[in-house]
Amino acid sequence: MKFDIKTLQAEIGKIDTIPTIPAIFKKMLAILENPKTSLSEISNFISNDPVLTSRVLKMVNSAVYGFPGRISSINQALLLLGLNAVRGLLLGISVFEAMQKTMLGLWDHALGTAIAGRIFATKKNLAEPDDVFVAALLHDIGKVILSLKFPADYQNVIQKVKEENLFIFEAEIEIFGITHADAGAWIAQKWNFPRNLIEAIEYHHRPELSKNVPMNTAVVHLADIFTRARGHGFAGDNFIPAINLHAWDRLNFSESDIREIFVQMEDSLQASESFSFSDE
Amino acid sequence: MIRILVNNLKPGMKLAQPVQSESGMVLLPEGTELAFSGIERLNAMGINSVMIEGTKSKSKEEVLEEIEARFKKTENEKNMDMLKRLLIEHINELYK
Repeated sequence: MKFDIKTLQAEIGKIDTIPTIPAIFKKMLAILENPKTSLSEISNFISNDPVLTSRVLKMVNSAVYGFPGRISSINQALLLLGLNAVRGLLLGISVFEAMQKTMLGLWDHALGTAIAGRIFATKKNLAEPDDVFVAALLHDIGKVILSLKFPADYQNVIQKVKEENLFIFEAEIEIFGITHADAGAWIAQKWNFPRNLIEAIEYHHRPELSKNVPMNTAVVHLADIFTRARGHGFAGDNFIPAINLHAWDRLNFSESDIREIFVQMEDSLQASESFSFSDE
Repeated sequence: MIRILVNNLKPGMKLAQPVQSESGMVLLPEGTELAFSGIERLNAMGINSVMIEGTKSKSKEEVLEEIEARFKKTENEKNMDMLKRLLIEHINELYK
């Protein structure tokens, strides 16, 4: 059975919130989608919520994020990371539970991809490694959305992947007629994510289509592949998608770059293995 | 191998020991990969906790075997052979 694409898009468009953290999430989106939100407004908003505060501080102080143990307040985090980085970080940490519930290992895959993405971005001297981190953290948000909205059908996707040895996006196409990348882009639009973030989510399997942020999208595409190759986390199937040649040429890594990347990833991935918000 | 409360089980976890009824009948064998339905069944049967595989780190051979399996579909695509070769070198280095 295939879904009608229009109906599917309308259904997904109705999702206002992720059930595990409804109240705060809705309020947060309102604050985040307003480009005029000031630094102090966002700082107050986070500081007034103990769970958000502890998550932001935990994330920025972890070995994963790169300021181990140095950031003690939300104000300090905002100053060090900048408003955009903290905005994105908030989105990322809000979907933690939803990812955990969607499939075992999806959060680890997302965090692993974010870590790899940051390593790539730093290696390429990209201006906004934090944007890449967030895009990579959220690239599979569509899997969360599809399985939230259509749990039984998504269970069929997972089953099909196993029985027929498919990539998850192949099974999604067969069941839904769209992939998690499409669903992710729709929800990102609906939630008014920044254009660049939407694009990286939408095209992480077809990076050649990214017009505004081809470099960031290429990084997310490759970071996804490297993380799967290393076997960190679980993205829904047990195969590694082929490297997109446009993305490969754009990043233009040498063999020695790749060796270094694997070593750097190893350190951060190990640090991230124990990283979770579930022991709050 | 760790004991996990049935409430905290997630689909995809694997039983490290069989689940038995009070009379000793095997309800789910060792190695069963739990699906949503399996977890619900455990709940319905009033089982509190089960032993789950995990926590033990993998041997180098296991890691390399898994890499072979993961690359199976795409290893003939451009650049994938290189990625695989460098990854295997990396694993060999890691387990020295």
